[in-house]
Amino acid sequence: MRAVYIHIPFCKTICSYCDFCKMFYYERWSSKYLIKLKEEIEDLYDGDEIKSIYIGGGTPSSLNINEIKYLMNIIKTFKTTSNFEFTFECNLNDINEELLTVLKQNKVNRLSIGIQSFQKEILNVLGRNHTFQEAKEKMALIRSFGFKNVNLDLIYAVKGQTLKMLKEDLKLFLKLNPDHISTYSLMILPNTLLWLKGTSSISEELDAKMYFYICKELSKKGFKHYEISNFAKNNKESIHNLTYWNNEEYYGFGLSASGYLDQIRYSNTKNLNKYLKGDYRANEELLTKKDIMDNELMLGFRKIAGINRVEFEKKYHIKMEDAYPIKPLLKNGDLEEKKEYIFISRDKLYVMNEILLKMI
Amino acid sequence: MNSKQIKQENIRNFSIIAHIDHGKSTLADRILEITGAISKREMVDQVLDSMDLERERGITIKLNAVSLNYHLNDEEYILNLIDTPGHVDFSYEVSRSLAACEGAILVVDATQGIEAQTLANLYLAMNADLKIIPVINKIDLPNANIPKVKEELKKVLGFKEEEIILCSGKTGEGVKDLIETIIKEVPAPKINNNKPLRALIFDSYFDPYKGVVALVKVVDGSLKEKDEILFMATNTSFEVTELGVRTPKEKHLKELVCGDVGYVVAAIKDISSVHVGDTITLVNNKASEPIHGYKPMKPMVYSGIFPVEPNKYGALKEAFLKLKLNDAALTIEPETSDALGFGFRVGFLGLLHMDIITTRIDREFSIPVITTSPSVVYHVTLTNGEKIEVDSPNKMPEAVKIKEIEEPFIYTNIIVPSDYIGSIMELCQNKRGIYKSLEYIDETRVNIHYEIPLSEVVYDFFDKLKSYTKGYASFDYEICGYKVSSLVKMNILLNGEIVDALSIIVHKDFAYQRGKAIVNKLKEVIPRQLFQIPIQASIGSKVIARETISAMHKNVLAKCYGGDITRKRKLLEKQKEGKKRMKMVGNVEVPQEAFLSILSGDEK
Repeated sequence: MRAVYIHIPFCKTICSYCDFCKMFYYERWSSKYLIKLKEEIEDLYDGDEIKSIYIGGGTPSSLNINEIKYLMNIIKTFKTTSNFEFTFECNLNDINEELLTVLKQNKVNRLSIGIQSFQKEILNVLGRNHTFQEAKEKMALIRSFGFKNVNLDLIYAVKGQTLKMLKEDLKLFLKLNPDHISTYSLMILPNTLLWLKGTSSISEELDAKMYFYICKELSKKGFKHYEISNFAKNNKESIHNLTYWNNEEYYGFGLSASGYLDQIRYSNTKNLNKYLKGDYRANEELLTKKDIMDNELMLGFRKIAGINRVEFEKKYHIKMEDAYPIKPLLKNGDLEEKKEYIFISRDKLYVMNEILLKMI
Repeated sequence: MNSKQIKQENIRNFSIIAHIDHGKSTLADRILEITGAISKREMVDQVLDSMDLERERGITIKLNAVSLNYHLNDEEYILNLIDTPGHVDFSYEVSRSLAACEGAILVVDATQGIEAQTLANLYLAMNADLKIIPVINKIDLPNANIPKVKEELKKVLGFKEEEIILCSGKTGEGVKDLIETIIKEVPAPKINNNKPLRALIFDSYFDPYKGVVALVKVVDGSLKEKDEILFMATNTSFEVTELGVRTPKEKHLKELVCGDVGYVVAAIKDISSVHVGDTITLVNNKASEPIHGYKPMKPMVYSGIFPVEPNKYGALKEAFLKLKLNDAALTIEPETSDALGFGFRVGFLGLLHMDIITTRIDREFSIPVITTSPSVVYHVTLTNGEKIEVDSPNKMPEAVKIKEIEEPFIYTNIIVPSDYIGSIMELCQNKRGIYKSLEYIDETRVNIHYEIPLSEVVYDFFDKLKSYTKGYASFDYEICGYKVSSLVKMNILLNGEIVDALSIIVHKDFAYQRGKAIVNKLKEVIPRQLFQIPIQASIGSKVIARETISAMHKNVLAKCYGGDITRKRKLLEKQKEGKKRMKMVGNVEVPQEAFLSILSGDEK
């Protein structure tokens, strides 16, 4: 069963670290954009049953309320399972009763909020601005509307950040009682404001220290560490993200969105003009079986539980250990096994590229 | 054209000699254009430099010769222009080209004045007893300082004011005057039509259809198609299948006569049987003596070249054989390294030669290779009295078996503004140099002579010279012999294991700082790995420097961006590609540049 990703490339402010496809919100563009988005969905969608919808960005909540209603109407096109996950990414400042009402009415059942940090110095570096008090109030409002699945994004490893500052952030995040936390070790990516300013990274050692602190602390507080950087409480693992990590197919709609359908991985244009002319696709790649198996490893080993070797064999008609040098890596401690699962050892998780490169 | 129709006394054989970038090739192009050898339309800049690499670097690597026609005062003349490589690595080849000439044009840049190679080349030309025509080139440039350069030519080199020709290869100004001066001033070759054939080989190249093509000057007698010829140094004989001149296109002739410069083809498969400097004579009418000055070419610098991927060994061998077809100076023998596997020990004339060959392997054959630190040839006397030559640190016998080690020294021409005398002396002293003498070229510039071990020049002398003098120095050298030095072999250990490909020979007094520089450099270039890696430099069992590469802590993309797996995949592919260019040494992945880092370590 497939999932759906929809990209809304508009933002009211541009964050210094963001390298997603985004632009300032401008109503003349956003309205045209939504019309084209509708056409794209109508063109491509097969009418199959969908298990998850994720509206990301950019900042989906930067759209005005009528646009959001229009967007929700488009989404009614999708046939969904009864227990489907429907995530909407929001900016803290955009959250209000009107928005939450519309989202709730349209079956959004998961909110993802890019809080990132509460430390003044860090928010300054990131180009964001909010307080814990605001977050607390918004969280209460969200809960009062009956949203039972809220994710908060946390950024760490920011220049100037100490372990003490991270501990403080984590404490505040936990006070908000989220159901899911996505953590993000800051990368200075080309063509972001941070990159243009020449901002440096923190040391690998401190970064790793922070990572292992987060893992330990969140586990202690009842979160299940289910993917390298993702933590969930009460079985609230993201169905949507697991689609990616399970190497399953998904639709990607909107500017710069990527998707995976019928063994083809594609990505859409990042050029708004082209998109508005209906020239959606930028590139497509038909995967070979080897590509698909490699992806299975690359994505599957992000999960703490790892890859189910029985499922693997069912899917690819070859034993995992025949396709890849699993045995020597089990022997040297890079990989471990537990029942049907093969996974990367906890202490090697943060250097998993190295392990992957030994396999693919 | 048949050279017989033109009187032999109307032949002029000449070369153009100059410091790098003084405009030699541009001037040659203009001469070709004015004599009508090439029309303006056909003109690709710098026709004589035919290899891409040569054009790129602005230097001539392989020689070429062209025959040009010129009409003056009702007489037809043949001008044979013999190009010379402009680098010290090839000074023997330069000397052989000059030996084929009766005259040389000494080109000096009007904006630069005399430089180190101007002098080195001039000395070679004087040794060959050539008529030298001094030319100030680039007079069209706004910063040309003609009076100053004239003064240098007069004062330092002893030319007379009226001998000096002013011209611009770029605009063509003065070039016609130059050509006519060549005709007037350069003597015709000596005519010995009746002596047994002697032809000097001054260059050769491999043609896939004809085999080896030798470029020759006929000194005595004459040479015809079907003649049985003998190479005197190698004592091998062949039958001439074709001969002629290059205009610059090849032009078939029946005969090359005394004084002619042309090409000879004789179905020769192996370029190593055609030695530059050798003499061709006739099997049936043999000359008693070869032409004076032949030396077999000997590599000065050796380096190990290994394929990054072991399965490319065969391809690398093929590549070397192909390069060797055209390059008699290249020597190759198989070498095995514990760290790098199977490869080759390759001998070069010098660093530029080495650079050219490795670049061509990469570019023309697309074989990624690892080049180990270049070594000079050491003369080692063992305690049992035996003398051996050692061209690799790994062939150096144990210290207890060695009585003494001699290493090659060079004699320098370093021309710099006099403000830099102090810096140059400091640099040369640091490079174990022995001060010889110093001459003033004019009030502001000096030529400094030192004797310096060649191994120091191979190390980082060029870079240091540049930085010590802000690029104002020009440098040239000749090998001046061997001297006893206090040398030791230094090993580098990664993760406790000696990496044979990183061993070097170093002077005792410099071992500590070199060792420190190398381990520091290796720490920089070897990426972090899953475990900690100690790096050590040792002499015998004594560790003299140590550094540690800490273990890798992080390398994953923490987030999976909006499901863009392709991007992540590409990143991984790129990382994988990067690993391909690394070599596993024990269990450590070592990037290629680590093997050359030994050359660029900074001793601060």
